[in-house]
Amino acid sequence: MTKHLNPMRIGIYVLLILFALLFLVPVYVLLASSLKTFAEVQDMSKLWVPPAGLHLESFRAAWSGIPEKGLRGLSRNLLNSVYLTVPATILSSLLGSLNGYVLAKWKFRGASVVFPLMLFGMFIPYQSVLIPLTQTLAAIGLGGTLWGLILVHVVYGIPITTLIFRNYYAEVPTDLIEAARIDGAGILSVYWRVLFPLSLPGFVVVIIWQFTNIWNEFLFAVSILQKPELQPITVALRNLAGSQIKEWNMVMAGTLIAAIPTLLVYIVLGRYFIRGLLAGSVKG
Amino acid sequence: MASVTYEHVYKKFGNVIAVNDMNIEIADKEFLVFVGPSGCGKTTSLRLLAGLEEITSGDIYIGDKLVNDVPPKDRDIAMVFQSYALYPHMSVYDNMAFGLRLHKTPKDEIDRRVKAAAGVLGIEPLLDRKPKQLSGGQRQRVAVGRAIVRQPKVFLFDEPLSNLDAKLRVQTRAELSKLHKRLATTFIYVTHDQVEAMTMATRIAVIRDGILQQLAPPQKLYDLPDNVFVAGFIGSPSMNFFDATLVEQDGKLFVVSDTFKLQVPVEKMGTYKEYKGQEVIFGIRPEDIHIKAYMPPGVVSADMKGKVDVTELMGNEIFLYLFTGKKPFIARVDPRAHVSPGDIIDLSINMGNMHLFDPKTERAIR
Amino acid sequence: MSHARRERWIAFIMVLPSILLLALFVYGFIGWTAAVSLSKWDGVEPNYSWAGLENFRLLFSKVGGVSARRFSIDLWNTLFFTLFFLLLCIIVGLFLAILLDQKIRGEGVFRTIYLFPMSLSFVVTGVVWRWIFAPGAGTRLRGVNALLHAIGLNALRWKWYTDTSSFGPFHVALTPVIIAASWQLIGYTMAMYLAGLRSIPEELREAARVDGASEVKIYRHIILPMLQPITLSALIVLGHISLKIFDLVYTMTGKGPGFVTDVPGIFMFETTFQGNHYAQGATISIIMLLMVAVVIIPYLIYSFRREVEL
Repeated sequence: MTKHLNPMRIGIYVLLILFALLFLVPVYVLLASSLKTFAEVQDMSKLWVPPAGLHLESFRAAWSGIPEKGLRGLSRNLLNSVYLTVPATILSSLLGSLNGYVLAKWKFRGASVVFPLMLFGMFIPYQSVLIPLTQTLAAIGLGGTLWGLILVHVVYGIPITTLIFRNYYAEVPTDLIEAARIDGAGILSVYWRVLFPLSLPGFVVVIIWQFTNIWNEFLFAVSILQKPELQPITVALRNLAGSQIKEWNMVMAGTLIAAIPTLLVYIVLGRYFIRGLLAGSVKG
Repeated sequence: MASVTYEHVYKKFGNVIAVNDMNIEIADKEFLVFVGPSGCGKTTSLRLLAGLEEITSGDIYIGDKLVNDVPPKDRDIAMVFQSYALYPHMSVYDNMAFGLRLHKTPKDEIDRRVKAAAGVLGIEPLLDRKPKQLSGGQRQRVAVGRAIVRQPKVFLFDEPLSNLDAKLRVQTRAELSKLHKRLATTFIYVTHDQVEAMTMATRIAVIRDGILQQLAPPQKLYDLPDNVFVAGFIGSPSMNFFDATLVEQDGKLFVVSDTFKLQVPVEKMGTYKEYKGQEVIFGIRPEDIHIKAYMPPGVVSADMKGKVDVTELMGNEIFLYLFTGKKPFIARVDPRAHVSPGDIIDLSINMGNMHLFDPKTERAIR
Repeated sequence: MSHARRERWIAFIMVLPSILLLALFVYGFIGWTAAVSLSKWDGVEPNYSWAGLENFRLLFSKVGGVSARRFSIDLWNTLFFTLFFLLLCIIVGLFLAILLDQKIRGEGVFRTIYLFPMSLSFVVTGVVWRWIFAPGAGTRLRGVNALLHAIGLNALRWKWYTDTSSFGPFHVALTPVIIAASWQLIGYTMAMYLAGLRSIPEELREAARVDGASEVKIYRHIILPMLQPITLSALIVLGHISLKIFDLVYTMTGKGPGFVTDVPGIFMFETTFQGNHYAQGATISIIMLLMVAVVIIPYLIYSFRREVEL
């Protein structure tokens, strides 16, 4: 059935385009402001006026800072975010995969109680663990370190990664596992030789999810890492924007730099990103 | 090659008894079929033997070895699953080689066995393909091939034909029978399809509600069912059952209901005389009810009337759905018969093949 | 040990590290925080001497200036923020999902645009919207106000998130924050509804059409009722986000003049890590936990009961 463009459908398209433009307003502001020169952003009433030309000085400033004005660049913090996000994502994905496998296919006694108790951990306000967390990290020598923050993200990532993998593995026919057991595989070799090779889509979903979440996270990072040279980009960006700064072109360029990694992942692998989103909600 | 023994095997899932005091001795090289309605415990019985479920109590032996606590991989069995359970990320070759690799079989030996099995099953051209690229029938063969290469003592089949279309199923049935003869190994096979059971088995175990109803060769099961359930389950269309009374008159014995009175053949009188004057369940298979005009010769028959409700022409025969009084029953009759719904017709009952069951125990009276 | 029991044991060992970590980091730490909330710990050095419920009483005390009432203000702010944020997300999200479900050309593009904010950090959202809604003053108008001035709608100019006026306990300054949060999560709500719409079999609509239902009636009587479980999930997920919101507000507006945009998350953070009032911070976080738990625990129980039935 081909849809003809009757007034009703034209109305629908107009609405969709209108909403799309509304959603893109902040993108316009980001791009326009970051392409302006310092002089241009000084007249803040010109926020909505397009930049006079393509000026990339703001990006240079956001990347390496403006030492003479005492403004730090974000390059160091971007790197910190990478150092933080990559290991934390990999570790929590692996843990989630193992847990998901066991919970989906080897229900031990009490598993039906343990799993909801695990899941509760992903809903709590992290404020309610923050004080003991900082105390404990300090006590074990990880206070104020990137490794401490990595540990935190791995631990609090367990519930969601386990949930996604459990639901993913639940779709793998149990026959496959039983066939492998009869073929001679034990619990670990079933995982390693049969389930793990089938896990790629699950890993893509979980890795994207964890990458995005950890990259974007703020509360743990700002509570645990006090040293500016260790902070990930979210914390550094907030500190930059929160100061009495006038270089808004630099702030907007920095915001873009902070946003680009997750934005790229979203645009390239959006399908898997949405799957992760829905996995975290539709099925508790 | 090995015998298999179930001794007082129980399996409970919570409060549900899935397998209830199972006692079976399966001889070496037998083709034993577990058959029964869905949920009867036949698949559970097989999975207990495979080690995929733990038995609640009792013992299972493969050969002389008690396997209660032996993990599946050490039971020397192979299994073909209903879904085939082919590893989707492995080629056909790797699917078949997987078990051998896990058992540390030398490489050239693996290669030899896989190729040999592929030859037997005619799947050599498929060895490099992934399961996704195969048709249903080809997948089924690969699943069988994966079992064959293991050269197990016992082959287990869990409804391996139920995902095939009707034509392929008939063809594969014959091939499995041939394979059984060729491998000369114990086959244990689960199905809900009594035709599969009848055509392939050396013996059939009929199971209902976790309880073994009868264990016998196909023909014996058909001719001499032990109880009403087996009699009704084996054979299609099912055996007809009528509530009746056994009455003695003038030295003859009759099966009597409100609407018919059928004489028991003289040679069977001895078997049934203890039930004289008592209520019985009278069983007769549809093919033992003939239209009087087309009755084959040499049949010890008794006459009754039936009112035709529906006729189904099958080509080589006609299924007649009939009534005697308010009681419906089915007859398989000669295709030359011209009957129409509403007709009241004369029937001859082949009383030589009559069955009587005790209405209280539902057991056959013999 | 039987082989089956041994394998179950191995299975248990495999998840044990995760179980232990979560037992400590979630339940242990919550218990610890609860203990701090009942203590007199006020300062850098831990002090676990017993204070009873004194810290809770203090939070709700009405004595003193606006600072003493900060937590009550926070709770009102959370209530209004949650209410309007949920309404906006659900209504606009559902609306966009229904529009996109009309076999739209370029659906993927629209979907990508509506959903992309979800991939951003709340910090990014906060910085951008802070810049957009910055009010400016007098002749130095900024952001939206500059735009309103330029198109002659000066009547609509106001002080946005720095405005201290209120309708009853509702601070109007929350509006820009609600807009920013909704901008980020409407796409998510839309994606949930769209997935729900796509899971409704086409036959059902066809059957209704054959039965003579108009397209509007099909939505009203068939599709919307079938989306109810999704609305519940969305409410729970969005609701628990808004109850514990911190990064967005902290970046965008902070606590605001007279706490007009303050939320418990900011209060807790400032009290604990800037004021070193640990017991007071722990008390706030325990109340936040209770608020979230009231929403989440019934939902978890409901989800798992449903799963067992399946």
